[in-house]
Amino acid sequence: MKWLLVLLIAACGSSREGVVLWHAYNGPERAALEHVAAEWNDLHPETPLTLVQVPYDAFADKITSAVPNGNGPDLFVYSHDRIGDWAAAGVIEPIEFWVDDSIAGRYQKDALAAMAYRDDLWGLPMALKCLALFYRTDRISAPPKTTDELFAMAARARGSYPLAYANSDLYDHAPWLHGFGGVVLDEHGELRIASAEAADAMAFSKRLIDRGVVPAETTGPLVETLFNEGKADMALEGPWFVGDIAKGVPWAVSTLPIVSETGRPAAPFFSAEGVLMSARARDKDAAFAVMLFIAGDRSANERARDAGQIVPNAGVHDDATQAVFRKQLEHTVLIPAAPAMRMVWTPYMTALAKVQSGGESPSDALLEVEREVRRYSEPPR
Amino acid sequence: MSTASNQMRDWGLAALFASIVAIAVFVGHRNHELRARQLELASAGAEAIAEGREPPTGVEAAGLVGAARPSPHYAFLRKRTVITEGKVRELGGAHAPATDKLLYDAAQRFDRNGAFVELLGDNSGRAVAARAAKNGIAVSVVAPSNPAGMPWLILLGALGLGAVIAAAGALVGGAARPLGLALGGALLAIPAYGWGGAGATISIVAGALAITFAQMRGTIDRCAAGLRRHKTALAFLAPATIAMLVLVATPFCVGLVLGFFDHHQGQWTFVGLHNFGEILSGGGRAFDDPLNFWFILGVTVLWTAANVILHVTLGVALALVLKQSWLRGKGVYRMLLILPWAIPNYITALIWKGMFQGEYGAINALLHSAGLDGVSWFSSWSTAFTANVVTNTWLGFPFMMVVALGALESIPRDFYEAAEVDGATGWQRFWHITLPHLRPALAPAVVLGSIWTFNMFNVIFLVSGGKPGGSTDILVTDAYRWAFERGERYGMAAAYGTIIFLVLLLWTVFGARIGRKEEAA
Repeated sequence: MKWLLVLLIAACGSSREGVVLWHAYNGPERAALEHVAAEWNDLHPETPLTLVQVPYDAFADKITSAVPNGNGPDLFVYSHDRIGDWAAAGVIEPIEFWVDDSIAGRYQKDALAAMAYRDDLWGLPMALKCLALFYRTDRISAPPKTTDELFAMAARARGSYPLAYANSDLYDHAPWLHGFGGVVLDEHGELRIASAEAADAMAFSKRLIDRGVVPAETTGPLVETLFNEGKADMALEGPWFVGDIAKGVPWAVSTLPIVSETGRPAAPFFSAEGVLMSARARDKDAAFAVMLFIAGDRSANERARDAGQIVPNAGVHDDATQAVFRKQLEHTVLIPAAPAMRMVWTPYMTALAKVQSGGESPSDALLEVEREVRRYSEPPR
Repeated sequence: MSTASNQMRDWGLAALFASIVAIAVFVGHRNHELRARQLELASAGAEAIAEGREPPTGVEAAGLVGAARPSPHYAFLRKRTVITEGKVRELGGAHAPATDKLLYDAAQRFDRNGAFVELLGDNSGRAVAARAAKNGIAVSVVAPSNPAGMPWLILLGALGLGAVIAAAGALVGGAARPLGLALGGALLAIPAYGWGGAGATISIVAGALAITFAQMRGTIDRCAAGLRRHKTALAFLAPATIAMLVLVATPFCVGLVLGFFDHHQGQWTFVGLHNFGEILSGGGRAFDDPLNFWFILGVTVLWTAANVILHVTLGVALALVLKQSWLRGKGVYRMLLILPWAIPNYITALIWKGMFQGEYGAINALLHSAGLDGVSWFSSWSTAFTANVVTNTWLGFPFMMVVALGALESIPRDFYEAAEVDGATGWQRFWHITLPHLRPALAPAVVLGSIWTFNMFNVIFLVSGGKPGGSTDILVTDAYRWAFERGERYGMAAAYGTIIFLVLLLWTVFGARIGRKEEAA
């Protein structure tokens, strides 16, 4: 009993020192961040930085519930798309007080803008993520420039599919949605799910399956298997996929093709991962100094070099893969940070699955998605 | 025990109750007062700044914050100046005083929502007020203030005096004893009136009277004697009771209460029975809409019935086969058949999900090799539901088999021998001997199995995931979606939980009654 008490006091006491940062990184990204933290601790022994790895699945809910009770971290690393929720709930701290143009100028403009919500700045960007086209160089010499070329590849394919992607996931479907001119939310944050353009994109995703361009009902892990086993020549994946490609598979990466029907480039969603400050951070000045360091150029260089992250810092050297992703970023759509966005994923997935299995027309399915999302985002009467 | 010490014990109970009430109302009263004082001071500070006067003492930082000057490059970066004590300075930067951030944020908030005064959400006790002024925004921040100390002197004095009165009552004896207890126990009601008003006084007096009444009837003496007598038993029960209270009763009660609230973007609102109304009315959806509660309930009941029937049939059949005397290697078969039960069910569920995959799954590969067309398992309700049921049957039959095996062992062989002598067929022996003997063991297993299946989150969530279009979702998976996929509507999810509990409660009571009837018959 006594020991328990001592442990309890020790546990409470230890969290009161320095700056605590939560992250959900694994593998090389985790190692790179830990290296950055070690550098900070060498330079600033007076404000020790403690990293805590929290599993990704539980991360957002833990932040939402722990911070208001004063049990959360001082800083945490997360994708920008929850900023809207957390800002509305008072979980995170606006940081523009400390940020001037010279600090802002260190980052790519749209990456920094992703960290802003409701005219406030909530974090500093660390890494950018979007989809690009991975292809096996032993199977195809050049990736398709347009979607017409993509369909032509299916006619020639023998024993493999030209492309694999997670068909019913909105994140993976987004390149076609935007390529056809559709959106989920318009620039004012209003739902614009049911549109003729979005319906065209959905019909297109079904055509990809019907004409044998892509396998049906594919999920992320299956894409990896198909690509590694040579059953798919190309895969629609993000920078994280590099680590999943089997040894000995010759690969390259390219930007997405142009949608032939509209002449617009297929534009995937883009998300910015950033370091955010808890509204209950204990020493906010010290926490911001850590933020600056973690999202700073030196750290960015290391994270880009050791973990392959696409960093938003100006003047960081890219390797060939990172350069392609950076080029793809020019044709992307930022995942909206509005709370309504998070209610879109599941109904949209349902609709895509229904349409692709031939159960429903795209326009009806989209109308249903919009109705459901509106219902969920209504405040209680 | 002597009358006097019993009297002091009873007074102790009354005093404990009174102290808890008194301290609670005092803390409530003190926090309320502090809050009011801080808010008032913050308002006064902002008003003074707006009118160009010195802010009152107790204001930590105050100033006239200038209008936002947006950066030419970034719309979300704005600089502001503040005038404090006649000097103008820039707000922001790394080495600014900590209160500057509060001034800046208050001005930002003012621009968005207008004038306000409030306590900061960080439990520091700081209050902030912002209001419009002639040349900017008047903001004042009140320093954290310590709440008034506990009135230990009053508390201890009242308790001591009360103890003396109670003891005196016991010494005098007769009617003075309960009178002394009531007076001594209720003495704290007097200072509590000042902190919590009539409510606190009435509760303390009522508590003291109840204890006096209990003393007069001898209830407390009997309870104390019972406690002493069962000391050991109670000590053994205590850990489990505490664990049950913390791990089961508390979450259960919290869940019940949450069902009456709605959670929307971090805000909880009391909505009464609205959540239940929305669920039970189907939320205005048609009955064949997969998101209508009654549709989901129908699917859940069908799912439970199909599984339990399959589990019992398969389990009993396999148990009967394993019992045959001609079978060799029984141990090996038994182990193999129990294996599905031993593997964590989410792993099994993920394996089956992979096997049902349309293009590369093992099941369609089998169908192809038999010259049949593959099935797109998750694109129609019936096939997706079948896939779920197959997976859960794989997971569920070993339990029923083990129960049936045990029950079969306990049937005396004489019955079968007698039946054979009477010329009963194998079917007759099964129907008139085996089944009636299995029933008492199977009935509770069926009730238990149906509750497990009713709430079998893992299989539904991992195998079909509700596909197509949520139509194979059951109540628990839909509750999950309310909580985590539809904008954190925790209230709706909690209301779902309460409804699931009520349905299962009905079923358990009802099922137990059937079981009893059969036993009696």
